[in-house]
Amino acid sequence: MEITLTHYLLLAMVVFLTGMVGFVVRRNAIVMLMCVELMLSSVNIVFAAYSRFHGNADGHVFVLMNFAVAAAEAAIGLAILVEIYRRRRTVNVDDLKALME
Amino acid sequence: MEGILFWVCGILMVFGGLMMVVQRSAVVSAVWLIFAFVCAAGIFALLSAPFLAVMQILVYAGAIMVLFLFVIMMLQGPVLEGGRKRLALPMWPAVAVPPMAIAVMIIGYVKRHGTTGMGGPAPEGFGSPEHVAELLLGKYLLAFELISIVLLVAIIGALAVGKDERKLPWK
Repeated sequence: MEITLTHYLLLAMVVFLTGMVGFVVRRNAIVMLMCVELMLSSVNIVFAAYSRFHGNADGHVFVLMNFAVAAAEAAIGLAILVEIYRRRRTVNVDDLKALME
Repeated sequence: MEGILFWVCGILMVFGGLMMVVQRSAVVSAVWLIFAFVCAAGIFALLSAPFLAVMQILVYAGAIMVLFLFVIMMLQGPVLEGGRKRLALPMWPAVAVPPMAIAVMIIGYVKRHGTTGMGGPAPEGFGSPEHVAELLLGKYLLAFELISIVLLVAIIGALAVGKDERKLPWK
């Protein structure tokens, strides 16, 4: 069975939805950040698949940009989480509802 | 051969992602995420993007996950392990329905505009470091420079968030 572009797109979709469900289900803010990383990674697969499909490597450049954005996001997000933990002694999002009430 | 590798890497990647979501301990979740990222590197290699495969291992599975594991190590304790409330029953549809709706939409779209094959064999040297570098430092030079500003802002932001408020220069 030949592997087509569709297979790669569907794989990316399944991975993205896994990350999305994880983001909603988990209560630990660090794990939620990891789910966001998984979603970003699935987008990279779509970029690379279309790049390969069109024989045009422009998508690879954008995957590299995405790496930088993901690294920046992880650094800032984790810095914020460490600061929250210092003040509130928790990273459980159920306990962090100052903006919700 | 490509088919076997695709199914192995793809199924293992989805499995790694699922295990990350299911595991209760944050450390175990992080290790499963590294597993999923390594499988993603395999997918990149299959898509004739060897440079991206190497960068995926170096940046994602290496640098970013070390950062995560480091923070988990710093915040260790009862906060991270267990104590997770089970979802209230009425929330399950809210969790399950949107992904299924999106999946139905995407599968419908793909079936309608479905493609055959992968657009022929990849050109010679496609996705090699030379090929990507030519684009990155040629056509996309401006974007490449701008992404360094994004990283600079991220460094400053992380420092500003992490530093003791009383010692910030503008206080």
